[in-house]
Formats: sequence, C-alpha cells, structure tokens
Amino acid sequence: MLKCTVNGKEIEVAEGTMVIEAFKQAGEDIAHYCWHPGLSVAGVCRLCMIEVEGAPRLMIACNTQVTEGMVVSNNSAKVQEAVKWGLDFHLINHPLDCPICDQAGECGLQDQYMKFGQYDPEMAERKVKKRKVVDLGRKIVLDTERCILCSRCVRFTDEVTKTSELGIFNRGDRSEIGTHEDKPLDNDYAVNVVDICPVGALTSKDFRFKQRVWYLDNDSTVCNGCSTGCNVNVYYNEKGYFRVKPEHNKDINDYWMCDKGRNIFKHVNKESRLLKAMKKTEAGTQMMAPGAAAKDVASLVKNYSSEQVAFVFTGQYTNEEYDDAMMYVDKIGTKNVFHWVNNPESFDDFDGILLRGDKNPNTAGLIKALEAKSFNATWEQLEADLNSGKIKLLVLAGPELQEYFPDIQEKIQLFSKAEKLVVLSSNPNPAYRDVDYLIPMKTFVEKKGSFTNFAGTVQKIQKMRLVVSQALSLNEAMQLMAGDELQVGANL
Amino acid sequence: MSIVKRPDIKSSWYVTSIVKGMALTFRNMIYNLFHKDEMPTVNYPEEKYEYGPRFKGSHILTVKKDGSIRCTACMLCATNCPADCISITAAEHDNPEVEKFPISYEIDTLRCVYCGFCEEACPVDAVRMGPEWQQPGLNGSSFVHDIQHLTRRPNLKGGYTSILDEEERHNSGI
Amino acid sequence: MEAKIISEHYTKDEFIGIDGYKKHGGYEQIANAFKMQPKEIIEMVKAAGLRGRGGAGFPTGMKWSFLPDNGEERYLLCNADEGEPGTFKDRKMMERAPHQLIEGMIISGYAVNSHKGYIYVRGEYRHIIELLEKAIKEAYDAGYLGKNIQGSGFDFDLDVYSGAGAYICGEETGMISSLEGYKGQPKLKPPFPAVQGYLKKPTIVNNVETLASVKYILRDGVEAYRKYGTEKSTGTKLFSVSGDVQRPGTYEVPLGYPLKQLIEEECGGLKPGRKLKAVIPGGSSAPILNAEEAYKVNMDYESLQSVGSMLGSGAVIVIDDTRCMVDLLDVTLHFYHHESCGQCTPCREGTGWINKIANKIVKGEGRVQDIDLLETVAKNMMGKTICALSDAAAMPTISFVQKFRDEFEFYVREGRSKVKGQTYAQVHG
Repeated sequence: MLKCTVNGKEIEVAEGTMVIEAFKQAGEDIAHYCWHPGLSVAGVCRLCMIEVEGAPRLMIACNTQVTEGMVVSNNSAKVQEAVKWGLDFHLINHPLDCPICDQAGECGLQDQYMKFGQYDPEMAERKVKKRKVVDLGRKIVLDTERCILCSRCVRFTDEVTKTSELGIFNRGDRSEIGTHEDKPLDNDYAVNVVDICPVGALTSKDFRFKQRVWYLDNDSTVCNGCSTGCNVNVYYNEKGYFRVKPEHNKDINDYWMCDKGRNIFKHVNKESRLLKAMKKTEAGTQMMAPGAAAKDVASLVKNYSSEQVAFVFTGQYTNEEYDDAMMYVDKIGTKNVFHWVNNPESFDDFDGILLRGDKNPNTAGLIKALEAKSFNATWEQLEADLNSGKIKLLVLAGPELQEYFPDIQEKIQLFSKAEKLVVLSSNPNPAYRDVDYLIPMKTFVEKKGSFTNFAGTVQKIQKMRLVVSQALSLNEAMQLMAGDELQVGANL
Repeated sequence: MSIVKRPDIKSSWYVTSIVKGMALTFRNMIYNLFHKDEMPTVNYPEEKYEYGPRFKGSHILTVKKDGSIRCTACMLCATNCPADCISITAAEHDNPEVEKFPISYEIDTLRCVYCGFCEEACPVDAVRMGPEWQQPGLNGSSFVHDIQHLTRRPNLKGGYTSILDEEERHNSGI
Repeated sequence: MEAKIISEHYTKDEFIGIDGYKKHGGYEQIANAFKMQPKEIIEMVKAAGLRGRGGAGFPTGMKWSFLPDNGEERYLLCNADEGEPGTFKDRKMMERAPHQLIEGMIISGYAVNSHKGYIYVRGEYRHIIELLEKAIKEAYDAGYLGKNIQGSGFDFDLDVYSGAGAYICGEETGMISSLEGYKGQPKLKPPFPAVQGYLKKPTIVNNVETLASVKYILRDGVEAYRKYGTEKSTGTKLFSVSGDVQRPGTYEVPLGYPLKQLIEEECGGLKPGRKLKAVIPGGSSAPILNAEEAYKVNMDYESLQSVGSMLGSGAVIVIDDTRCMVDLLDVTLHFYHHESCGQCTPCREGTGWINKIANKIVKGEGRVQDIDLLETVAKNMMGKTICALSDAAAMPTISFVQKFRDEFEFYVREGRSKVKGQTYAQVHG
C-alpha cells in the first residue's frame, strides 16, 4: 500500500494505482473522457489534468502512477483553467445538437460542462462538418460530428472483443471514427460501444428516439439471458421497459454484456404479454383471472392420484420459487418432476467472453432444488410415462425467454399426450394454442428472488414495475394448485 | 367575536337601492345606445375581440421554409410542461440533416394551463402560443390537438414559419 | 568560419560510393570501436557532450545509458524523417555521404548493443531511399553489415523504412508506431522508448546527424571534439539556412556561432536593399526572433534559450522586410493544422482553431479580439499533449503575435497587409 494525498485528503492505495483511480477512491471529482476503467489508457482527451507537488508541468492523472508520499491536486486555478480549456477544445467542433441527440441527459459533455465548464464560448469560426447518421449495421448508428475521438470504442473492439472493426481515419480535426468501407459493426458485444461512448456519437438503433433518458428509472438486476448472470441495469417508466445496460461486476461481467442480453426486456412489455388466464372448454376458450385458473387446476389435481400428476420445470425461475414449488410438489405427493433442458447439444458452449450456451439464468438453482428433494426422474422416463398414459395431468412451468427454446412446439406436442396440460407462461406462444390451461406468470423484473449462475454465484434480482399485476409467480401458482390459499401480502 | 348588526326592517325592503340601481342601469343603457363606439364591451359572438400578437393563446407548431415541421422532437417542452399535457412520439427522418422529427405531437388543451413554458423551453422556435383563444369543441377528444391541427389549422393560413432557418444554420457551420 | 567535420567531403561525388568513402577514411572507426567496450563508447559520447541534433537537444550518451540491462533485444532507429519546415541538413548528408550515416549507426549499434537498426526515411525522400538501399547493399557486400562484422563477432543488420510522409512520424514514438505498421501517432510516455519502444523492446532513436557525429568523436577524440562549440553545446552543427539570403544552403559551423555572422558571412547576407526583419532559428516550430534579437544571439542551445527560442533542428529561416508576418503565420499554421495527428484534443482542435483565426485575419475578416484570442488559444495548447506538435504550433503563434502585433492589428483594421499593402484577394487572385 502507498500513501498519497489527493486534494488534501490522505488515502492509501494499492501499488500500481493510477492517480485517476486514487481520485475516484478518494471520492474527488476529476474530469475525463478517454479513460475507462475496463480499457487501456489512451491519454488523449487531456482533461484529467493534475498538479503533482514538485513537478513543473501539469500531468494527466490516467497515465501517472501513484508513488509513495505523492501530493496531487486538481483544485488549483491552474488546473481548473486547463480543464476549462480542455472542455472548450472538445466543444468547439461539437455540433451541440443535444435536442436531437439520444445521449442528452447522460452525456459526458453535458455533465462535465456543468461541473467544470460553464464559460462563454469564444469560437466564432465555422465548425468542421463531418458525416452524420452513418449506418453501422443493424445495431448501431454513428454520428462522426458528435464524436470527441476519445477512442474508447476503438479500444473496446481491439481489447475486449478483439475484433478491431473500428478505427480512427484521417488526421487532425478531420479525424473520424469508422469502420472500413462502413462495414457493419456486428459482433456479439457491439452495443457496449454505445454505453462507453461518452457522447452521442454511437447510438443504439434499438433505443434510438424511443425515450428521453430523463424519463427513465432504472434498477439493477441480473440478466436472465444465459447462465453467466451478468449484472445489468434495466431502464423503465410507466410506458414500459426500454433498455438494458450492463452494470460493473468485477467477478462476472466486468463492465460489459452481450447484445443478446440487451433484448431481455422485450418480452416483459404489455403488448407481448399474456394478460389473462385461458381455459379451454368445449364452448371455446374461456378467459379468467390467473388465480382462479390456478384454483381450477387445484381441483383437477385432486381428481388424479399423485402418480398421475407430473411437473416439468425450466431453468428460468428464481431459487425461491423453486424451493417453494418443490415444497408444494411434495405436498401433492408426486415424484414426477422433470427438468426441460433446452438445446442440450450447445449447453456447455462458451464464447470466451460472456456468452454461454446454457440459455437459462438458473439451471444451477433448479438442479439444486431438485437434488434437495431427491427428484431424479429422467426425461426418458417422462416420455415413456406420457406414451404409456401413466401421466394424466402435466403442469409445465414454461420458459420466460421462449426464443431460446426452439423445440417448444415439439415438446408441447409431447406433453399433450397427457389428458390435461397446464402451461404456466409469461408470454403467449402459438404452440400453447391447444393447452387446457394457460396461466400468466410474472417476468423476472416483476418479482424478487435470486438466480444461481453457472459458477454457483447466487445473485439477487429486483422487483421493478409490475406490468401484468394479476400474473402469478411460480410459487404462488404452485401454492394455489396444491390447494392452498394465498396469504395476503405474500408477494415474492 | 364580532357582532353583526342587523339592518332595521325598513332598509331590508331595498326600495331606494333598487331605484338607484335601475337609474344607473338605464342611464348607461340610454347613453350607450347613442354612444356605441365608446362601449367597453363587445357583442360576442357577433363581434370578436382581437388580442395583440403576443397574447399567449392556442399553441402553434411552426414550419420550416419548405413547409415541413420545425419540431425536432427533443421533448423539452413535454419535460418542462407543468400540466403534463404534451405527448410526443419521435421517429427517424429519412434526411440525415433532420435526423429526428415527431410523428405525433399532441397537446391536451383541457389540461393545459397556458403558462407558456413549452414555448420557453423550445430550443428551435418550434412551438409558439398564438393569439387565438377560441376553441370550441363538442367532446373531450376535440380538445386534444394533434400535429395536423397544431401546424396547419385553417386559421394559421398555411402555417407559421420558424425564425430559425435550418439551411442558414448549416451554412454558418453551427 | 565554417568548421567542416561532417560535411568535409560533401562536395566530392566519389564520397557517395563505398570506395570513395573508404579513400577518405571511411569505415576506419568501426575497427576502432570494436577495440573498445560498448560502455567506453557511451562514456566517450557523454564526455564529448554530444546532444541530439534532431530538435530536442537531449544528451545522446545519457539517452543511451537509459537502456535497461535485461538482456532484451534492442533496436537502434535512425530518425531520417526530416519533416520540420526549413530543415534539409539530413537530406544533404544522405545524398552526399550515405556511408557516413551507416558507419555511425554501426558504431552506435555496437555501443548500445543492438543488432538491428532501421533508418526511417521521410516519405517524400523517395530518391534517398534508393540511395541508402544501394549504400547498405555495398556495406553488406564489403562485410560492414551482417553477421560477424570484420571478424569482431558483432552482428548488425540495417534496413531502410519509410512512411507515407507525415510530419508527426518525425516524433520518435510516432515514428515507432509507423515502423510497427500502425498509423503514425505518438505514444504515451511513460514508458519511454528506451524502455519500451519498437515492438515493445528497448529502442534508441537518434537523428541522422547525431549518429554520424559519433564517428567523429571516435576519430578525433573527446578533447578535439569539445574544442568546437561552447561549454554546454559542444561540437559542430549543420544548419540549413533558407529564406531571404544570398546563398541558402547547409552550413557546418561550431555551436555558439553568432547568427549574424552565419547570415552575413556564410550566406552572403541579405538581398541588396533589404533589411532583416526576423529569423526563425530552429525550424518553423521555434519561436521567431526579431532582427535585434537575431543580431545578438549565438547559435547554441543556451544562447537561443535565453532569448526565448530554441536551436531545434538548426533550420534557420531568414525573413526580410518584404514579408508579411500575418501571411507567414497563416501558412505556418496551415501546416500544423494539416499535420496534427488528431489524437490529443487540444492539438487536434486547437491547431484547427488557430489556423481558422489566422486565415480569417488574412482574408480581412478578422476582429480585433481575434489577435488576443489567437494568443490565448495557443497558450492553452502548450504543454497539454502527448507530443510536442501542439507546442510547435503554439510557440510560433505566440511569438509572431507578440513580436509583430502591429502587423496583425493593421491587418484587422485595414483588411490588408501592412507590408505589402494589398488584400488577400489582391495577392491570391
């Protein structure tokens, strides 16, 4: 550990710490654009100016290592003047089209101008005109005029994805970020460049113009797109859920997330949800409240002996739901509990960065819950029992992210061999057309709980805004199906 | 506690007051009959009062020289609106120099408090409050003005042109 | 008086080929060097007080001793990217005495224990690449390059490399980037090239003239070398004199030589009837000197520093009273605007900004406050960037505005040049 003084505060930092990290550690403000903790040091924005005692010149904090007894500061008039001018240099050729810029509200230039700038501009010359609205494939739009050439995105594609699609072309104030011949930036992690872009030069096509960011709330949760369990922030307001951004977690996803995970909010919004329970009757489909439907199922369960009832789970529910569900399975008294593994052939795939083949957030949790009650029925047994007609009632706790279950149609056909098929699902699916009961479930943003990722790390998910207030969580559905009443306020 | 003294019974007949009042009324009526041009009121709806051009009445969305809408859908008016009566849906424009524009812009004038904050918040002189003040309607929905009404209602006579000229702005390199 | 050491045989055509070069004592110092320990040569260079001739004037021996002793492969790079406007001394040497550079590189390579050298030639010097390649082939054939040179057991390979012609590739880390195959952009320091340079290996980058001088230190010895120049600026230096003098060209004089004498004796003075107005003593990035300063200054590192300028690459640009300083600044700034690599914001945006301001003034559209703004912006570009290009653009700007403010004010006021009396449109049509 090294002792140093940052703006008069004495702190201890680890050896090899850069001064900018010491500033962050001391909780002191320091202006910067090009420095990003997840990337290498570029030292090009020249904003993180500091004064080191004993050094004649101002230095940049991102490329200066802390030494024992170092006294650094950035609150002198000299530094403030330098930062002010540094900002002005960034802004003179910036188009200032904040009204139409998606980054407005979370823009580094706006924030730092309010914090360190607030001067009258002196630039009276024509700005440099560059290309606007450059299409970089299906995910990203580039605006080279807004770009401040911090090179974060270039370093990201060089260092994290190692795909090096992006580069800086031309020289001087004619420099532009771009891809060769405007080829698409289409790797699996491309949208991260939008997050790390301190200005609105790179914007996500998916989120573009949908909402102004100041209308959005956000909460942190865990991505349910695969078993990696990246920490994410979900952004939403009363109109629905709008985007997902990664949240830093050193041990799991660092600062990044994959592009597939950015879609996990889409099935949550009302227009794609199952709003009412559906019961198939001779007269047609009857709509009913989810709770009522579950109680209906409870009466069905009673009609059959416990061996005739089977449950199929997917790895998309929380640990807490599984624990309770197994308790109620136990209460019903059946041992017919099965684990539906989607695409088993790619289950162990890993792309070397974050993406895993297991597209369930909580496979580990389900396996643990099954093992705890020593439910060890195999899939072959399920098929055999369905074919022989031994299973009369099958309850499927269906997947929330249906796109990762390509065999859904085929499996429903198999399950339909039971006399009665009950499907618990947050979203409709053409495959569910003929099931006897279809009960709406809550999605991962509407309930509290935890997921266990591939490595066994248990991470909490948060309840945010309810979209379908009547929808049930798995434990509630199981409780009702087991014949119990829901307690008021028992809302997981 | 204050004590209110009841007027005596005579004065509660109000005869003198009524006579005084009627005299005033008739005097003015007769005066006005012969001095019509001095009358401070107008005969609405046959006569209509014209407010000055700076009167903050009905909203107007301005247009560019080419007649397209000036609004860039930045949502600052909606953000600034204390009555929360503006709702805008933005979309991508084909022309990269425009980039963003509103495909829907609605003002619920029944909620509007005519404070003029929208006008103040607008960075591009896209929304103004004009001198019109009459807006009769038959039901609630006729008070929710859509983009068509705000831009090109007949009273605007082809639309107001914004003082901010896009072309000029681009040429001067801003 | 000129003191011809490096340029002694420049006039002889035979000196270009290896045979002619050897006739005049060429490649003799290699054997001398091999008799010594590398450390001894470094000490000798230190003792001789040789300073880098490329621009910064950093002591060469000191630079060499920064190399870490970790057994890693080392590279010796010769910086022949002579991009500073007004400089042409290295071109002259490579044209007239390519073997002199090769010999200097072999000796220096031996001194810093490097087995691989590159000569990074400026993109515009196409003909020199051919010349150098021919000379290197001759040296290989004669056994001065390659494995086991002259039976000494020392190996040294030499190659010529060139970029596409960018001023910034004359900055040592920019040159290394270009040599590595990347865009020629300076790298962050630390780490310094001596620790982590070309291909992340310890690397020494020296100017053409510096490397060639090493040979003469070995030949004449420290004492003889120190006889030239001043206490702190030793030896001789090649000056490229250009501009309004009778005989522009490359002149070798001892350091500390009076500038007045250089202009009036060596270069034959100014054209008849003209008066000296200003001198840029060290290439376009050096602060300009007015006539009064120019006449009293000596051409060495300290003397020039004392008047607020620098020796730089030794490119003396003489300006007489027919030149308009506003025009000159405009042209200079156009160059830096064009050549900024675009990496650091103050330089990328600042060079563009001051160029636009200067251009506006020249076109007669300037405002009074633009003169101060020019100076303020330039001052705020100083010392803020990775390399010195930003400073190189800022220093002339500041000195031009400070020393010739009247011309700028006249231009803003009248919309035409004070000296030429014409507007931009009249001059440029």
